[in-house]
Amino acid sequence: MGKRKAIKLLTVCGSGIVTSSMLANKLTDMFEEEGYEVTAMEANPSELATYIAREKYDLVAYASPINEEDLAGTPALPAIGLITGLGDEEFLEQALEIFKAAGK
Amino acid sequence: MLRKELIKLDADVENSEEALRMMAEMFVQEGAAKPSYPDAIIAREAQYPTALPAEAFDIAIPHTFAEHVNEPAMGICVLKNPVEFKQMGSPEITLHPQLLFMLAITDPKDQITLLRKIMKLIQNADALKQIKEADSVDEIYSIVNPLLF
Repeated sequence: MGKRKAIKLLTVCGSGIVTSSMLANKLTDMFEEEGYEVTAMEANPSELATYIAREKYDLVAYASPINEEDLAGTPALPAIGLITGLGDEEFLEQALEIFKAAGK
Repeated sequence: MLRKELIKLDADVENSEEALRMMAEMFVQEGAAKPSYPDAIIAREAQYPTALPAEAFDIAIPHTFAEHVNEPAMGICVLKNPVEFKQMGSPEITLHPQLLFMLAITDPKDQITLLRKIMKLIQNADALKQIKEADSVDEIYSIVNPLLF
């Protein structure tokens, strides 16, 4: 068995607390099931640029509007569908494509 | 966590602010939140809305920063008539929540299991419909409480 590939995620919501925690939790479960080793951090929109400048993330999942330029090229996907559960498959599919494109 | 004193049926309100204030003041009354909580809930909802287009119908999960909270608690409000809220993440979209799940969270790391259950509840269309149709506070409590453990 090969080594599990590590991915680092950043979840963003208005307060950087409640919704981003829900998302971080759900995404960790979701991608561990896909065989990844997951680290998830949480931020609010005004912290986003600082987090991105400090560390490299494989994906940002956001539940509040964010500034495109704060991402500095980091791939990002809207995550409301993960909270309602109605967008799980779409999110998973798009995220896996992003990871594969990055060789993960 | 879920308290009967924080469940409100048939809330007859004109707009989202009235609904939020009524619920938030119940939290203060019960000692779960500080007197600053109602204004903080309303301000945060205006800046970062919390309505979600759940499978069953629109709902909202109003919450605010831990500094306004005394202890973890959750309240449920069944609105007599839906009022306008903005969608989380997309403030340009207007939703009409029929249920509010108001949260008082002190430490999300501590309360992660609960947050996980609340997310499952939001996704549980049957449970949401049962809550909306319930005739009493006790009935809502007995539907929701087992789902939080």
